[in-house]
Amino acid sequence: MKTTWKDIAPVPTHQEFLDIVLSRTQRQLPTQIRAGFKISRIRGFYTRKVKYTQETFCEKFQHILDGFPRLVDIHPFHKDLMNTLYDADHFRIALGQVSTAKHLIETVSRDYVRLIKYAQSLFQCKQLKKAALGRMATITRRLKDPLVYLEQVRQHLGRLPSIDPNTRTLLICGYPNVGKSSFLRNITRADVDVQPYAFTTKSLFVGHFDYKYLRFQAIDTPGILDHPLEEMNTIEMQSITAVAHLRSAILYFMDLSEQCGYSVGDQIKLFHSIKPLFANKIVFIVVNKIDVRRPEDLEPEYQEQLNEILKAEDVEMLQTSCTTTEGVSAVKNAACDKLLAERVAQKLKSGSASATPSGRLGDVLSRIHVAQPMGGVRETFIPEAVKNLTKYDKNDPNRRKLERDLEEENGGAGVYSFDMQRDYDLADKDWNHDKIPEVWNGKNIYDFVDPDIETKLAALEEEEEKLEADGYYDSDESVEDAEDADNRMKADLIREKRVLMRNDAKMRKSLKNRAQIPRSAKAKKLSEMTRGLDSAGYDNDAAGSRVRKQTQARSSRPITREPTADADAMDVDDNPHKALARAKSRARNHPVTDRLNDGITNGSHGVTSFTNRDKAERMLKLGQKKMQRQARAGEADRHTTASLAKHLFSGKRGMGKTDRR
Amino acid sequence: MAVRAQFENSNEVGVFSCLTNAYAIVAVGGSENFYSVFESELQDVIPICHATIAGTRIVGRLVVGNRKGLLVPTTTTDQELQHLRNTLPDTVKIQRIEERLSALGNVICCNDHVAIVHPDLERETEEIIADVLGVEVFRQTVADNVLTGSYMALSNQGGIVHPKTSIRDQDELSSLLQVPLVAGSVNRGSAVVGAGMVVNDWLAITGLDTTATELSVVESVFRLGEMGPGGAGAAGVNKDSIVESFY
Repeated sequence: MKTTWKDIAPVPTHQEFLDIVLSRTQRQLPTQIRAGFKISRIRGFYTRKVKYTQETFCEKFQHILDGFPRLVDIHPFHKDLMNTLYDADHFRIALGQVSTAKHLIETVSRDYVRLIKYAQSLFQCKQLKKAALGRMATITRRLKDPLVYLEQVRQHLGRLPSIDPNTRTLLICGYPNVGKSSFLRNITRADVDVQPYAFTTKSLFVGHFDYKYLRFQAIDTPGILDHPLEEMNTIEMQSITAVAHLRSAILYFMDLSEQCGYSVGDQIKLFHSIKPLFANKIVFIVVNKIDVRRPEDLEPEYQEQLNEILKAEDVEMLQTSCTTTEGVSAVKNAACDKLLAERVAQKLKSGSASATPSGRLGDVLSRIHVAQPMGGVRETFIPEAVKNLTKYDKNDPNRRKLERDLEEENGGAGVYSFDMQRDYDLADKDWNHDKIPEVWNGKNIYDFVDPDIETKLAALEEEEEKLEADGYYDSDESVEDAEDADNRMKADLIREKRVLMRNDAKMRKSLKNRAQIPRSAKAKKLSEMTRGLDSAGYDNDAAGSRVRKQTQARSSRPITREPTADADAMDVDDNPHKALARAKSRARNHPVTDRLNDGITNGSHGVTSFTNRDKAERMLKLGQKKMQRQARAGEADRHTTASLAKHLFSGKRGMGKTDRR
Repeated sequence: MAVRAQFENSNEVGVFSCLTNAYAIVAVGGSENFYSVFESELQDVIPICHATIAGTRIVGRLVVGNRKGLLVPTTTTDQELQHLRNTLPDTVKIQRIEERLSALGNVICCNDHVAIVHPDLERETEEIIADVLGVEVFRQTVADNVLTGSYMALSNQGGIVHPKTSIRDQDELSSLLQVPLVAGSVNRGSAVVGAGMVVNDWLAITGLDTTATELSVVESVFRLGEMGPGGAGAAGVNKDSIVESFY
């Protein structure tokens, strides 16, 4: 809710108002018009002037109307305070006048725009405009007083303290000069003027303080005199407004020393006369200036009256002295506690119409609720060692070595691998690092873990001992004789030899990743062949010479040149004619193969006879006849595929320029 | 004593560790920092066991235990079980149980006297819990959540339940458990209090994000540190202030 009105825009005086609006019209609209222009244009020009002026007026008035608070919309406390300070009727009338002026100006504008429509000349239009603006100015001029008043109200409103009517509030009231402002100064940091004369405080002052983590506001009110409400002045009425409307704890201050200039009787009387305003509120009577006079020293009749108040009403008496600050915080705490308790009780009551509160209140309550069990407490198991634990201190040189320290020493996280078995709690510490296989002979050993293994082992050992004692193992039945041993040794040798032979054969047979070539396809040396033929008793001359001839034909001439007589001699052709003739001559020995005729005679490959070859050639020609006749390109023809001309693919092609050049 | 800690940037310390009055189980992590928090707080009072369960690090959610026993899920390997057996004292019974709801830490919440379990737990499991852990077993929910182990942190001296638990539920649970309960949060408002902290009778470890207010609630309800036994219940003093400012 809004509690301050510091942001109302300043209200100009009527003169300033006119200046603002008219100069704006002048500046914002065109000014050039000629008599020779078309009449519709002239009319439009002036219509616009009138309309624009009216719009500006209305906008400004609306701004004022919106800026001020509407009395019906604000909290009754603020409403009454404004009523006291500014007179609600006056305020409402001022705003009403502004509103009326706005409507009048709208009407004037409408009328004159209508008239301008029928104007026949520039002069007529201009006069109508002048009349319209003149009437608007007159209306504004009539607002002289309301505008001045509203500006004053605005300035005063801006300076009002921000009083929240719904928050936790301590309200300090009483006769003038009883020490209300000194108390506020003592409990808050508000800088209130304290003077030894009545009505030092002329308006409401607010200070804030914290109690139990909550923010409280304390309001210092002007002093009240004991006379009828109608006779009270504005200053007193502010106090009355605050007392009447704020949901607060009321601290009624009394000065029993009568230094304030009012008798104790008067003060008690005032309490009674404003008592109707205290309905449904927490009220305290705070006796101030106890350094001068305490309630015990009071005249009996006054004491009796005071006691009557305390007895009859739900009123508590507190004592303080603002000069010695004695009891100041006690008063504050007592008031705050009671106020808080009252507010919480009210909230709980309103929130819990049903048996269990729900919604937000239920949430809050369930969160601060401590469910206590009905029965006794559960037994706890805290080891004795816990009580003697010294707190681990990172900077202690003799501190315990943690796993983290070990980690740091051994290469840090990611490198260090902790010892899982270090802390094993086994019967013997030496067992900690014993290796136990997870799987043994393909079996999970945990499947065979027997809880009774110890007893079984013990039984077995016992049996063994018994057997040994009985001499069961002494018999020589199991000792083998020398002959058996010899046989066994021989058998082992044979087995070993057999294995070796098998491996050898495997090695020989294996191809070791080489290709399998039939024996007939392998190359054989000539000497090998002749030796073979010899040993078989054949004559090998013919076969040998045939082979030799074939080989010589292939490599009859040595590849290397025969060296010249002198190694240093230059290689000069001694007979150029001979060299030329030699270069042109054909080789003496023809190549061994003749692709045209080979095979025809021996009939091993391809065509088998000359006739067949001729036939094949004819067929070939016949096949190509059509192509030849049409001069078609065949696959054997030289062909250059289409390609881009150089100028099409070279050139400046920068970023994003696909265009050539 | 209440301490804040973090497991590899995660505040859910109750996921990666399990703390009882007789032993602590800590997940195997990338570094030893988390383990060393337990080491420095517990020193040699109770054994601390580096462990994995079914090869995972979420040991705190998979196992449940108290001073007398430890229950591990069926997924635990033989080697892990042997490791636990070797590390923990012989007074602690360890039992691997065949249960469909294998995250035992999520479905069971117990102290040394009482266990609150998921309503759908098998009857056999319930019997095993009673036998191995030596507790009374109650099938119950916490704030309408069946995962009692996740939404409740419990010791012999107190307990914290899901922050949205109604007052009636709190009173009911408290009368079952015979310990004081509060609705609270850890790790800056996290409702999974069981997973966000571990606690025994003299030590609580919460996530690093836990606020000072949450930590003070933890300390007071579990009666740790200076509060001591018989300390003031949480928020008793400032109840008025809280109602006044939040409602």
